[in-house]
Amino acid sequence: MNPKNITQNRVRWIARVSLLGFALIFGRLIQLQILDHADLLQQARTQQVKTVEVQAPRGTIFDRNGRPLAMSVPVDTVIVNPQRIPDRGVAAEILAKILGLDQDELTRRVETAFKAGRGYLVVKKHVNPEEANRLKHLNLEWVEFRPGARRYYPNGSLAAHVVGSVNHEQEGDAGLEQGLNDELQGHTGVVRMTTDVRRRGFNTEIDSAMMSGQDVRLTIDRRIQHVAERSLAKAVIDHNCKTGSLVVMNPHTGELLAVANYPTFDPNLPVQGPDDMAGRRNLAVVAPFEPGSVFKVFTIAAALETTNLTPDTVINCGRGVINLFGRIIHDHDPYSALSMADVLAKSSNIGAIQVGLRVGEQRLHEYVKRFGFGDQTGLPLPAESSGRVFRLSRWTKSSIGSVAMGHEVLSTTVQLAQGAAVVANGGLLVRPRITVAGPAAGAIRNVALVEDKGQPVRAIKPETAITMRQLMEGVVLRGTGRAARLDGYSSAGKTGSAQIYDEETKHYTHKYNASFMGFAPVANPALVVVVTLNGASKYGGAVAAPVFREVAGAALRILDVPRDLPDQLTPAAEPEQPANDVAIAELGRPMLTEPIGPKPAPPAPDPNAPVLIGPRVPDFSGKTMRAVLEESVALGLKVRFSGKGVARAQDPAAGTVIAAGEPVRVQFAR
Amino acid sequence: MSGYRSVRDLDWTLLLVAAAICALGILQIYSATHDTVWRDAWWKQVLYVATGLILLWIVTLVDYHSLLGNVPFLYVGSIVLLVVTFFAGRTVFGSRRWIPLFGGFHFQVSEFVKLVLVLLVARYLSELTAKKLESPDLLKLAGLVGLPMLLVMSQPDLGTSLTYLPILACGVFLAGLQWKHLAVILVAAVLVLPAAWFTLKDYQKARLVTFVDPAADPQGSGYQVIQSKIAVGSGGMWGKGVTHGSQTQLRFLPVPHTDFIFSAFAEEHGFVGVVVVLGLYFLLLMQIVSNAQAAPDRAGAYLCMGVAALLLFHVLVNVGMVVGRMPVTGIPLPLMSFGGSSTWSVFLMLGLVNNVRLRRFLN
Repeated sequence: MNPKNITQNRVRWIARVSLLGFALIFGRLIQLQILDHADLLQQARTQQVKTVEVQAPRGTIFDRNGRPLAMSVPVDTVIVNPQRIPDRGVAAEILAKILGLDQDELTRRVETAFKAGRGYLVVKKHVNPEEANRLKHLNLEWVEFRPGARRYYPNGSLAAHVVGSVNHEQEGDAGLEQGLNDELQGHTGVVRMTTDVRRRGFNTEIDSAMMSGQDVRLTIDRRIQHVAERSLAKAVIDHNCKTGSLVVMNPHTGELLAVANYPTFDPNLPVQGPDDMAGRRNLAVVAPFEPGSVFKVFTIAAALETTNLTPDTVINCGRGVINLFGRIIHDHDPYSALSMADVLAKSSNIGAIQVGLRVGEQRLHEYVKRFGFGDQTGLPLPAESSGRVFRLSRWTKSSIGSVAMGHEVLSTTVQLAQGAAVVANGGLLVRPRITVAGPAAGAIRNVALVEDKGQPVRAIKPETAITMRQLMEGVVLRGTGRAARLDGYSSAGKTGSAQIYDEETKHYTHKYNASFMGFAPVANPALVVVVTLNGASKYGGAVAAPVFREVAGAALRILDVPRDLPDQLTPAAEPEQPANDVAIAELGRPMLTEPIGPKPAPPAPDPNAPVLIGPRVPDFSGKTMRAVLEESVALGLKVRFSGKGVARAQDPAAGTVIAAGEPVRVQFAR
Repeated sequence: MSGYRSVRDLDWTLLLVAAAICALGILQIYSATHDTVWRDAWWKQVLYVATGLILLWIVTLVDYHSLLGNVPFLYVGSIVLLVVTFFAGRTVFGSRRWIPLFGGFHFQVSEFVKLVLVLLVARYLSELTAKKLESPDLLKLAGLVGLPMLLVMSQPDLGTSLTYLPILACGVFLAGLQWKHLAVILVAAVLVLPAAWFTLKDYQKARLVTFVDPAADPQGSGYQVIQSKIAVGSGGMWGKGVTHGSQTQLRFLPVPHTDFIFSAFAEEHGFVGVVVVLGLYFLLLMQIVSNAQAAPDRAGAYLCMGVAALLLFHVLVNVGMVVGRMPVTGIPLPLMSFGGSSTWSVFLMLGLVNNVRLRRFLN
């Protein structure tokens, strides 16, 4: 063959080989770019797009003045890789020193983890930033920091029941931390980030935006809360009570200025055991009880609205005995007849039953509901009790008598405050609230608007409310609640002592839910304060009313409420008044089971009940109206004038010590 | 002589195809580097191409017969430069491949040795008088090609040294390689290759292992191949668009403007773009082959076919590597990959082809 031809032939061979090579590549490209395209595109996305979670900071809880009650502080968890520690003994020494741990114990943990072949050991959780920084500055490659947050309650146990606490996952497990958990914790954001090969983010797409937890501003006033907790704790301990709860509420807005309970707890600490668990119950909201005589307020308000009874109407108290549907019932003190005002002031049970009978079952039930009993107040606090008011169909014949005295119903302390506020604010049922809108002074972020209470509902007529204020003032001035008199302010209220039913012995015990429900000042109440002491051996007027006096007195001064009485009241002896206000418990069924057994003897009146006393009445005789007026203003006396000329007679007599705010009637004649 | 040195007589089809490939290459270099520290690379490549065209023209001026006459000097000079590189070269990534020149430029001798070897093989084979290629001649030629191969291999630069083989193979094949010799060579290769394994550097072994099983070390040596396949595959039919290839832009793809430029191109232009580019390369090769067939003498034909074989090897090995069908060897894609030495050597080779074409009516 011609060499030229051989060459030509072989050139063609080479062309064919190159064509084959191109064909193979072509086939491979079809496979990659068309057949496997979707799969490879997915692989590309997987490695290029990272999903990053952005933790939302939990909102801060402020008191109404912008002081933080709960806040999240950044903390680190310190983790080591025992396998990478060059010298485990030295490492344990360094870590123990900086983190304040026990060196021997840490050495043991590190050695154990090392021998078990683990590359991960949590040395300490919740390391404060200062310690973490010191450790970070050492630049130890085997130490790792995992950022997190820890809930911190700067005031410790202050308002702990309201604020609540969080669990290990930083989720609320009590109080508002639980009730407003969604608002407080915000939304963990998810960001899809396109990252280059070095994991540097290029552009980010927000899948779901991180929303910081909202701040919550409470109605609680830290100062009032502090006084409330201190006074309540002192009373519970001094009087050997089991528990206690106290609510301070603005009757016009429903804002709760203080909610105190005893026992209390420190939310900074984890739950220590069943006792501690019990101490974490917000009794004012979750624990209903039979309110007893304080309930007579609502019975009499109903009577004023629905019957022709007036405060001056004389009620037959049957010398302490009444025959109610065939049952003979004895009152604690045998009154023959009392005005309706005195029925309240002296807390006559038979008087209250008589008034209740006049009102009638239907209307009594209606009014009890109107005052908000039997319904939740709608606070954003977990496990709120609605109390208990039986449907009319479940009332027995004697129920009307029981309800009139505050038995056969259950109420929480907050519900009593809500009911008292109706009287205090002029007849409107205002739902209590624990949060306020608008940023507090110290808050930067958005504040959660969480409570929509709707419009207040009229429960009673304004006139009725005003009359009731006077009647309740009478309780403080001359009835069972004289221990509730304030320095510088007029006050009104009602005492109550409801016997506690012992389920084991099926008996009403001689322990009381001793309570005081009141407000001040009388003419334009700024505060409602309700105190409940559970398991007291004394009456509400003796143990709960002084707590009212301390807390209301301090709170009014904190809030700069103008005084309506002179500050200093000169103490003086006063005729002993009956302080017994125990409602007849065994008239109706106990709220849990039927009662068996005889009626317990009424406990003796407490001779040591503290009594507040006012100025001594001067001798006005022969003085002109002008002189009497000047003298009485100087002494802070309220004088009711009648007639013209010079003073001829006065009541009480000169030299008598009277209660603050108690009027002196002076008769003038020519 | 001026009659057949007219610009009009150049192989314009060849030049246009080459220019088109260069243009796509520059576009892709721009796209792959526009927001990196290499952002100047595209216009540098424009300069390389422009100077490459001038070099091409210069090469066509000198009759290739006189070039062939100077082969001994060129060959000896190449060997000397390779030895100099071995001792004085700039070390990059553990190998000495470049000699520093003036003005911060670096000269990769091994690229130009290709050209010298094309001339060497052409001259050696064209001067043989026997009808068949006899074994002494074969061995002698193999020795001449083997010496620079060993020198380049010791830089170490296995990829470039392997590109010398197709020049030899193609020339020998065209010169009438006897089938029995081919059989002997194949048997010898089978025997020698296992032994050669032990002379490879660790990274070279890793590349071969990776080629067989890329998933063996996905974060290490298999990484480039996997990322390249993902880039090519995710381009799909139409591609992601210029500067929108995420594998390229997010730098998952290694060296997307040099060795893996085809991968970046495939990602951004898709199957359609890739088919166009491969078509242009095929056209280029066939144009060179037709020039070989029209050559006035055997030397001219060997020259053209040597160039064709070299370019074919480059394209198949580079694209084969990018699509995961060849081991990673660091062989650039001719005319597309960024790099002065590589671009110039290709233009010089195309100049040789045109040189032969201009003198096709000599006889």
